[in-house]
Amino acid sequence: MENIAGHKPALRWVVNISVIVLVLMWVIPTTGLLVSSFRDRDQISYTGWWKAPFQQEQNQIFRSQPPDTQFEADGEFILEGNIFEGEEGKVLAFGTSSRDPTRYQPNDIGEMSKSRTMVVDNDGNYRIASPEPHSGNRGVRIFATTSQPPKMTLENYAKVIFSEGLGQSFLNTFSVTIPATVIPILIAAFAAYALAWMEFPGKYILIACVVGLLVVPLQLTFIPLLRLHNTLGIGKEYLGIWLAHTGFGLPLAIYLLRNYIAGLPKEIIESARVDGATDFDIFRKIILQLSFPALASFAIFQFLWVWNDLLVATVFLGNNEDQLVMTGRLRELLGSRGGDWEILATSAFVSIAVPILVFFLLQKYLVRGLLAGSVKGG
Amino acid sequence: MRLIKSLFASMLCTGLAVVGSTAQEELMFPIGEGNFNWESYQEFSEMDLSGETISVFGPWLNQDKVFVDSVIAYFEAATGANVEYSGSDSFEQQIVIDTEAGSPPNIAVFPQPGLAKDLASKGLLVPLDGAIGDWVKENYAAGQSWVDLGTYPDENGENQLYGFFYKVDVKSLVWYVPENFEDAGYEVPTTMEELKALSDQIVADGETPWCIGLGSGGATGWPATDWVEDLMLRTQTPEVYDAWVDNSMKFNDPIVVSTIDEFGSFARNEDYVSGGSAAVASTDFRDSPKGMFTSPPQCYLHRQASFIPAFFPEGTEVGVDADFFYFPAFAGKDLGTPVLGGGTLFAITSDSPGTRAFIDFLSTPIAHEIWMAQSGFLTPHKGVNPDVYTDATLRNLNEILLGATTFRFDGSDLMPGPIGAGVFWTGMVDYVGGKEAQEVADEIQATWDAL
Repeated sequence: MENIAGHKPALRWVVNISVIVLVLMWVIPTTGLLVSSFRDRDQISYTGWWKAPFQQEQNQIFRSQPPDTQFEADGEFILEGNIFEGEEGKVLAFGTSSRDPTRYQPNDIGEMSKSRTMVVDNDGNYRIASPEPHSGNRGVRIFATTSQPPKMTLENYAKVIFSEGLGQSFLNTFSVTIPATVIPILIAAFAAYALAWMEFPGKYILIACVVGLLVVPLQLTFIPLLRLHNTLGIGKEYLGIWLAHTGFGLPLAIYLLRNYIAGLPKEIIESARVDGATDFDIFRKIILQLSFPALASFAIFQFLWVWNDLLVATVFLGNNEDQLVMTGRLRELLGSRGGDWEILATSAFVSIAVPILVFFLLQKYLVRGLLAGSVKGG
Repeated sequence: MRLIKSLFASMLCTGLAVVGSTAQEELMFPIGEGNFNWESYQEFSEMDLSGETISVFGPWLNQDKVFVDSVIAYFEAATGANVEYSGSDSFEQQIVIDTEAGSPPNIAVFPQPGLAKDLASKGLLVPLDGAIGDWVKENYAAGQSWVDLGTYPDENGENQLYGFFYKVDVKSLVWYVPENFEDAGYEVPTTMEELKALSDQIVADGETPWCIGLGSGGATGWPATDWVEDLMLRTQTPEVYDAWVDNSMKFNDPIVVSTIDEFGSFARNEDYVSGGSAAVASTDFRDSPKGMFTSPPQCYLHRQASFIPAFFPEGTEVGVDADFFYFPAFAGKDLGTPVLGGGTLFAITSDSPGTRAFIDFLSTPIAHEIWMAQSGFLTPHKGVNPDVYTDATLRNLNEILLGATTFRFDGSDLMPGPIGAGVFWTGMVDYVGGKEAQEVADEIQATWDAL
């Protein structure tokens, strides 16, 4: 005993360090996403998120004013302007050609083709002089190494929610998730009580069937089930996906709740019976009150699973604006906006906001419910 | 069609006034104005399909969805039907589930013929009218080949026309930044020899010529299959290409292996690709062209199909900030100017009169011109007016298509799914990762044999 006690501090250190490492492993990428979701599009592509709060040094390509803004002075044709266009920033170096974009220091005279010259000062003011009039309809490219203050913005969120359609999908996901969580709990609670406390023939076979259903892979049932929905005339509608999620969730729900309810003290239920309570009274007044933690924990499971589901929604719901769920929308964004990190990071945050909220609010039930089933079996 | 045409002849004079007033505000281009072929629109104006709903399901999303909706709006305005287009990027999986389970849309838009062929053989597609086939033969450039690409055996093994091609992509393009070429003094190459010389020149100048990215989520590897197909067309006759696609020439034939190695001379050349060959497989194809636009540029050339400008940095103007040239053929090989392309085909999955009318509508010039006037829509339809293209770049693109001496459809789209959308992709990733071409080709052929 003393030996073991003597090792305890060391062991505790190991545990603590492992916990810290695990937490960091989860938190760091999430923080990165969170930071990126607020950053400016250009800055994301130049520097990592950990550099977000600092001055951003980057090589950029700007374009001068178009030639139709030129004016003549001292026999030269001049294009003038500021590369930052009103934003804050410093120029550290500049160049006139993509071959050597950092060739000149600010205020140096940069040489260009056709005996043109370019000068860029520290504040980004440029002056391009040419002995001949500037031609074409586009400005000249200005290569500059700039140092700009970090830009944080809420625009990404506005863009994702309103113009990328994530807002609508968010509502669609809610329309799927809430009924698909409530319906199985309602059914499972009744079934669990019956299987735990009512006596009827074939009860144990029924329980075995439920346990057996836990291992049926749901992918197997897609086409037959969708065919059934089509024959019944439900088609690809919300009702169909509620029923599908209910079906897929019920075996686990019944099993979890039955184990919990069977573990409730026998005396309470028997004394209620002696006092003349019907099964429905017992269920409503005693069982539901006592099994709240189990109900809540299953609700969290089911909510998170339905919220994150893509497969079932893809099969049982359509693709139009009113039916596309958030996971489906994210998938499409990955395809069409795969290179736009700010859109993806922001979308990820919009989609995990609700699960995180649910988790923090109902956390204690999650743990209690998980343990509940394990302590005493049927 | 013939009936519609005779209707049209008698109704033309009255039609103009009536249609002019319906649902103008949602139409992209006012009816009767511009270079459009409005006559072909008027044909439909007398058809009354109000109350009919036609569902169309396809792979087009975002911007493309806006374009297809704008075309559909004209059909709706003309006939009063309600057409619902919905897009998905898991189209290939969903259409299988939907047709098998009995809840198909009216029309499915297939991005590749292989899948349509599959569904046709299970009896899940409805054949098109024979008249459409005759029409395509007459009115599409290389009409017979488009009919052949849309004809598949039904569940009884009889050949039927199922697919109507609408919207074509040209894949044999090399993208570049003209101003970077100007700065460095490079010229646009016109032969493959020149292209290779240019690549070597760029390396000699201490820069990197190519950006190649194969990453594409579950479809990682497909850009490499386009490379191999394009190079096959440039080193072998079209007949050899066809034999390769239908496996009468084995995948591990020395010809195929040497073509894969030809691709390797670009992608596995550490000096040629930005980030080295290790970066090829891990770079997303959508991210890889961005290297051309950085300062200093990470690469100068990018071979990709006509859709890629959608993934250029925001504000990039095609034709000015970025341009393309034809992925050239070898001057030393007398193979003409082959062009590799792809295309989407419309097929009926659930029949109705409105559905038939919609397919008829797609054969009108106006259905092509509306999309052409908005973006890089290419079409083999000979009756359209190229003046509706808004800029010269797009016209050039169509010229590449029209100037082709050989046009071949993307081979991986024609191969059976487990090959063309499976081991060919993964095999190319392995190859770029360092596996021998022979080994990769053997594995692909082994999978093909096992089908």
